[in-house]
This record gives sequence, structure tokens and C-alpha cells, in this order.
Amino acid sequence: MKAIFGTTVLSLSALLSTTAFAQDNSITINSFGGAYETAHRACIITPFEEATGATVNVVTAYSADAFAQLRAQKDAPQFDVIHFSGGQEIVGAAEGLLAPIDPAGLSNAADLYDFAGANMAKGEGPAYSIAAIGLVFNTEALSTPPTQWTDLLNPEFGEHLVLTDISNGYGMLGFLMLNQVQGGSLENIQPGLDAVAKLLDAGAIVVSTSPEIQQEFAQNDAWIAPYASDYAFTLRQAGLPSGFTQGAEGTPASYITTNLVAGRDNTELSLKLIDMSISAEAQECFAEALRYSPTNAKAELSDEVAADVAYGEEGVAGLIRFDPAVIEANRTAWVEQWNKTIAR
Amino acid sequence: MNDRTENLLLALPGILLLGLAFFLPIAQMLMLSISGPDGPTLAHFARFLSDPYYLNILWRTVRLSLLITVICALIGFPLAYIMTKVGPTARLWLVVIVILPLMTSVVVRTFGWMVLLSRSGMIPEILRDMGLVGRSFALMQTEAAIVIGMVQVLLPFMTLSILGVLTRIDGRLEEAARTMGCSFLQTIRTVVLPLALPGIVAGSLLCFTLSASSFVTPNLLGGTRIQVLAASIYKSVTATPDWPFAAAQAVILFVGILLVLVPYIKLTGTRHG
Repeated sequence: MKAIFGTTVLSLSALLSTTAFAQDNSITINSFGGAYETAHRACIITPFEEATGATVNVVTAYSADAFAQLRAQKDAPQFDVIHFSGGQEIVGAAEGLLAPIDPAGLSNAADLYDFAGANMAKGEGPAYSIAAIGLVFNTEALSTPPTQWTDLLNPEFGEHLVLTDISNGYGMLGFLMLNQVQGGSLENIQPGLDAVAKLLDAGAIVVSTSPEIQQEFAQNDAWIAPYASDYAFTLRQAGLPSGFTQGAEGTPASYITTNLVAGRDNTELSLKLIDMSISAEAQECFAEALRYSPTNAKAELSDEVAADVAYGEEGVAGLIRFDPAVIEANRTAWVEQWNKTIAR
Repeated sequence: MNDRTENLLLALPGILLLGLAFFLPIAQMLMLSISGPDGPTLAHFARFLSDPYYLNILWRTVRLSLLITVICALIGFPLAYIMTKVGPTARLWLVVIVILPLMTSVVVRTFGWMVLLSRSGMIPEILRDMGLVGRSFALMQTEAAIVIGMVQVLLPFMTLSILGVLTRIDGRLEEAARTMGCSFLQTIRTVVLPLALPGIVAGSLLCFTLSASSFVTPNLLGGTRIQVLAASIYKSVTATPDWPFAAAQAVILFVGILLVLVPYIKLTGTRHG
């Protein structure tokens, strides 16, 4: 009820703002708030406005909320470009809410890694950055860095291992990867649950939010946690000795995509923004600011930044994308099974 | 305009607020809890009551709430008793000390406990240095942490409830008991305790209902692995998201608290009018 009300208010305000700027020279997009939105503005939105003279109206809405709005506005969409991090573009494209993009019309499309722009013609916008899930570890406590996902099962880690609840998106991806290296699949998560139960018996800690991970590293002598690459950077900025490494078996990735909304007039301007998002410069800027992995093969990173992300042909070769639609369909059941496994 | 309409007019804003902010959401929650894809259903309740996992959560919620209430009463009664015996200045200071924690947000207080109880925090460190516990001793993410945190949060409610009753007890009753040969403890047991009972019951009720429905402190101190009912409801709303099941859990919590309220009303109603 509340969500619907909120959506109505937001769509009304979006409607009003678009009426106010009824001219051709403005587009409406969503961003994710906080540090992300700050970087988004600095790396893409502001340079875009300067280059085109256009105005960008930014609505802060996470993927799920943005998608709910997009659906609610089916007949009169208010967003021009919409960003998702949870795979919503797959459903959106299938429902016809997103418009196909001709890669030939984007000057930077040819530089994208194949996986990043594979389904543009279907309406799934290109991925302009990637949150890579690997092993975040304490560089002081572990003299030899971990190299693979199965290292998590090292009995030495015991109570120094931090797992993240699967109600958290990154936690879900890390768990699915652990499940996979233990012989499980998206049809069968039991091997992963068994591994988690074993780790918990050995003393592993479960947290449910990012700040708690920081707390575990800062105060509770945590050594290692499967989590996103950008978080090792966050920890380091907080003064904690931490590094990131991609597990040898593969790197689950959360794609952040930029999508063209169907049924809007300002397509040309929107495509320019999308083109800019996938440019090497914008992605270098994002990697520098937040340690998200670039999807543009031409993006060049300093060694320091490259160490924290999935970089270069070799780095992105191991990226795995667990089917977001399958995750969504199973979420309720999985969360309950997970809760029962971790309950004391 | 007669008295009755005047009274009604005066009560109207309160009644409206209560109706809007309390009865309407409760009614909505009740409706949601029995809503299913094919009309009304009790499936959500059946799911909760037939699953040992959820029954365990319910039992933990009740067990911890009772424990917290008993500890609050054990600390709160002597504290309140002493407050009635000391001079007015000392009493004022004691009241301030008891109320002071209420001035800060429960989240802030809980973060304080998280710092104190964490693995490298002060309390485990001291216990380890004194050789009382092993190296791997931890207090965070245990039921003990929840109890410690909740007792601190709820103690003011218990103490002030008992204090209110104790200050109205005629001091001469105790003097009479002592002159008739009662020892100090006998006086407490036979005179003060029975007279303070309404305060203890009211305080216990507050403590029990507040701790059964509390979410922030158990969630932060107990962690995700030790679930209480309120945390489970939160998870059902946000993580899964399964609103009807969350509503069913909320109804179970609501009914549970009502079940505690009814005997209380009967008890105090018959005894003290």
C-alpha cells in the first residue's frame, strides 16, 4: 500500500517536473543515491550536461523501486534512461518496457567486452560497470593471500571468516558461488547450505549489511569475507589493511546496466547518455572513485586501481552471471532455507 | 451543549488518532494475514505453527522476554525501594540516572553495547585478562548480549512503575511491622512486596510487551543467527518479501501479548479496583 502510494507520489512529481521542463533538452534518469550517485554525477551526468547543454533530472531510486515505477508508468513512462543493478533489464526487455538499442548508433559500443552489450538488440541495455564478488581479506593477518573460493573452507579461518546473509544482494551471489564450488547449482543449493553449516560450526560469523562487515574487520579480528571488490576499497579508506582477490573458480558479478526506456521522445539525447556511460573515460572515473569494474576494454586503470577490480581480458574472463530471473523466482524459498540453516 | 457532548468533543481528536493510527493498521494487518491467492486462508498461520523453526523463534521470544522481565524486576525493586528511603536530593539524582538512558536513542545505546561486548571490546577483554574465560570467548551474537542490552533499555520502565507505588506506601506500616518483631527481610516480604505488587505487575507487563516486540536491540546484539519474532517479521517484509506471512506472524505476536494482558487486567481489577 505504502509502496504504491510512494510510487504514485514519485510518478506525480516526475510528471510535474517533466511538464515543467517540457523542452527537448532534458532527460530524466534514476541513480542509486549516496556515494554511488556522487560518483555517477561526477563521472557521467555532469560531463554529459556540459557536453550537450542538456539538463538531467536525477530521481534517486534503487533498482527494484525504479523497476516498479517503470512498470506502473507503462502507458506514460517518465524515465528516459533507467539504471538497474539486479538484472531487472531482462524482465523489462521481455515486457517491452525497454527499447532495443542499435549498437551501431553508439560510438563506444564496439569497445565493450562481448558480455556487456550482448543483448542490446533485445532491449537489455549495456552493462557500464560491474560489481565483482570475490574474497576480501585482511592483508596483515593473511600473509599469503587466498586464491580460490574453496580457501574459504580452510579450517584455520574458523571464527575469522565473515559470511553475509543472502537477504543482501552481494551475500546472495557469494553464497551461490560457494554453492557452485561445492558441487551445487541453481537447481540445488543444498551443497552450499551444507558448507555454510560446517563453516558456522567452525565459528564463522554471519552479518547482514555492509557496515557490519567493516565492524567485523575493525573490531572483531575478521580475516576474510566473500564480498564485492568495492568494499575492500571502502575498508582500506577506513584505515583497515585489506585486499581483494578474484577466486580462481570464477567471479560472480552484479551487472549495472543503463537502459533506454521505450515510448519516450528524447531518444537521441538518451542514447548519447548511454554512449557516454559506456565510454572508457567514464568507466575509468567510476573505477577510480568506487572500484567498480569497467566493461569497456579500452579503459585503462592504474595498477593500484586494477588490483581492486576485475580488469583486462583475463580479469573479466572469469566473470559469472547467475541468472537474475532464477534468483528472483527462488528468492523466497532460498531465504527461508538459509535462515533455517544459520539459525541457532 | 451538555456534559456528554462536551466530553465527546474533547475526546474526539484522541479517538480519531487512535482509529487512524492504531485500529485501521491493525485491521489491515488482520486482513492481510488471512489473504491468499484464492480468497481467505489460514495457510500462513498453519505454516508458522507447523514449522519447528518458527515455533523455536516464538519460544525464544517468550523465553527471553520472561528472563528480561524477571531480571528487570530483581534489579528494579531494590533500586526503587532505596529511592524511597534516601533524601530528596539523592532521590532526584537516582531518578535522573535511571531516566538518563531514555534520553538517547535506543540505537545509540545498542551501538554502545556492541562496542563493549565485541570480541576486542572492554568486557570480554577484562574477563579474558582475569582468566575467567577462554581466548575464543565472545558475547556479541549471543542471547546473553540480547538480555544485557534489553535489561538496560527496559530497567527505567520497571523502576519507575515500582517507585510510583512504593512512594504511596505509608512508612508507618513498615515501622509497625518492625516493632512487632519482623526482621528487615520479613518486613519487605510481608508488608512492602504485597503492597508494591501492582507496581511490579505493571512494570513487568511493560517490560514483557516491550521486549517481546522489540526489534532493534535483539537484531543488533543477537545478529542474524539468533532470531526473535520481530526480526523474523522484518525479514519476511523486506527480504522475501512475503507480506501476508509477515502479517500472520505479527498477529501471533499481537495475540500473544493480548493473552498476557487479559490475566493482568483481571488480577489488578479484582485485587485493587
